[in-house]
Amino acid sequence: MTAVRQTLLLAQWQFRRQSTFLPLLVVVQVFMAVATVVGYGLLVGDPPPEVALYLATGAPTITLITVGLVMTPQLLAQSKTEGSLDWMRTLPVPRGLFLASDLLVWTVLALPGMVLGVLVGAARFDIELSVAPWLVPATLLVSMTAAAVGYALASVLPPPLANLVTQMLVFVVLLFSPVSYPAERMPAWLQQVHEWAPIEPMAQLVRAGLAQDAFAISGRSLLVLAVWCLAATGAAATALRRRA
Amino acid sequence: MGQDEVLTIRGLRKRYRGRRGVQANDGIDLDVRAGQVVGLLGHNGAGKTTLVNQVVGLVLPDEGTITLDGIDAVARPDEARSRASIQAQANVPISGLTPRLAIELVGRLRGGHRTAVRARAAELIEALDLSPWADTRAEKVSGGIARLTAFAMTVVQPGRLVVLDEPTNDVDPVRHRLLWQQIRRLADDGAGVLLVTHNVREAERVVDRLAILDHGVVLAADTPAGLTASWQGTLTVELDLLPGAAVTWPDGARPRGSDRLRESASIATEDAAEVVRWAQHQVDQGVIERYSLVPASLEDVYVELVGAEHAGASAEEVAA
Repeated sequence: MTAVRQTLLLAQWQFRRQSTFLPLLVVVQVFMAVATVVGYGLLVGDPPPEVALYLATGAPTITLITVGLVMTPQLLAQSKTEGSLDWMRTLPVPRGLFLASDLLVWTVLALPGMVLGVLVGAARFDIELSVAPWLVPATLLVSMTAAAVGYALASVLPPPLANLVTQMLVFVVLLFSPVSYPAERMPAWLQQVHEWAPIEPMAQLVRAGLAQDAFAISGRSLLVLAVWCLAATGAAATALRRRA
Repeated sequence: MGQDEVLTIRGLRKRYRGRRGVQANDGIDLDVRAGQVVGLLGHNGAGKTTLVNQVVGLVLPDEGTITLDGIDAVARPDEARSRASIQAQANVPISGLTPRLAIELVGRLRGGHRTAVRARAAELIEALDLSPWADTRAEKVSGGIARLTAFAMTVVQPGRLVVLDEPTNDVDPVRHRLLWQQIRRLADDGAGVLLVTHNVREAERVVDRLAILDHGVVLAADTPAGLTASWQGTLTVELDLLPGAAVTWPDGARPRGSDRLRESASIATEDAAEVVRWAQHQVDQGVIERYSLVPASLEDVYVELVGAEHAGASAEEVAA
């Protein structure tokens, strides 16, 4: 009970500290989701229904991943630089809760963009979605894994480097990952990389959750994702617990 | 170890590795009891912050023991943190929050009940005269107000041990007093207070005990009176020179240093009357502007222990 209370209080602290930028952040998320759908639509012209479905169901994943991989590490890097992380670590709060509260904040912030991305995609390409009942937990798993990887990155790397790496990751996610297009279009070596990276399983999971009639996720992908989630959460928690 | 021992540190050593390895703590012994304000005095780089960070488990000691309220703080950092509250040397950024909100949120994070925390926050805001800024966005408050807010965040739900790292920095003189009253009250209410500072003059008036830290070692630890005992029978003469003037001290005065237009020397108490006559003559001659005679202070002890080079810097900070 105390843990839940403390997580919510920490989340409130983070939320309020960002309050000036919150509206802007949500706008950026929404813009990102819409841009992915509409922008890719422009790139590929008038896509056939299968391609359109791919695009529309990939956009929410892009939003979730960028929030986790970019926003979370940037916030952590910022709190490292301004010194608030060290102070927060003197509080009698279990280390894992810092991670939990950040995940909570960023997941909630990512939601409007994600939902709007789905709606815009469905409207723009005139497609039928078939939402699976487990979409919400699946979304949480994706969001949590992305944020945990981002958190681990920012914990291990010095702040300027962390910021640079996350900027780079945006491009990888947007252009060089099988999120908005099928993996077959990528060179073989990149396909192999993505078999072990967490991005493709994330996309598959969200896709299957949004259009379960058209897509499914393999057990292997789910396992890869679960391993990434555990490893990244563990790494982030270890970094928070580390003593100089 | 007595019942009321809040913090007991023995043989604490910490070396930071790296290209220029630094032996930050080199065998520190320190005690803080309930109801005591213990000053930890030392110049920049003496090892104060490293010491504090080890107490709350942010830094792992190489050697030595830290017992906090009966808990082995090295083995159980989580437990240690729940028994200590820390005001860091740097202000905690609270932009986006108001001082009141920040104080209340931290109080509840530390396990305080909502209504109790609200009442305590209001009491602290009142006592530190923060009311005009309590509900202003933190971006708009001055450094001194931010400092006092950080103090209130630390003591809104105080641990058995309260560590304050330079709490008076940036705080105006009027609120200095209010702050010292609150620090004294913390100890009177049963907490052990470890006050980290390099402000020698101010510390002297508030602390029950003092430890002087230099190069990672405690050089002396005693009550302020105990530390100055060897200086009994000694007075310090301070002169403000007129520009361009040079002073020649009378026999028996031991010059203690000069700083631009200021000079000071130690004299024996029995020579006081003679030195006052001499000094008044210097004023009449137009050599010095004014003079004062003060009892030997902790600053003198500090200078003797850590050497004049550091103390000079410290005295300037005091004046600033």
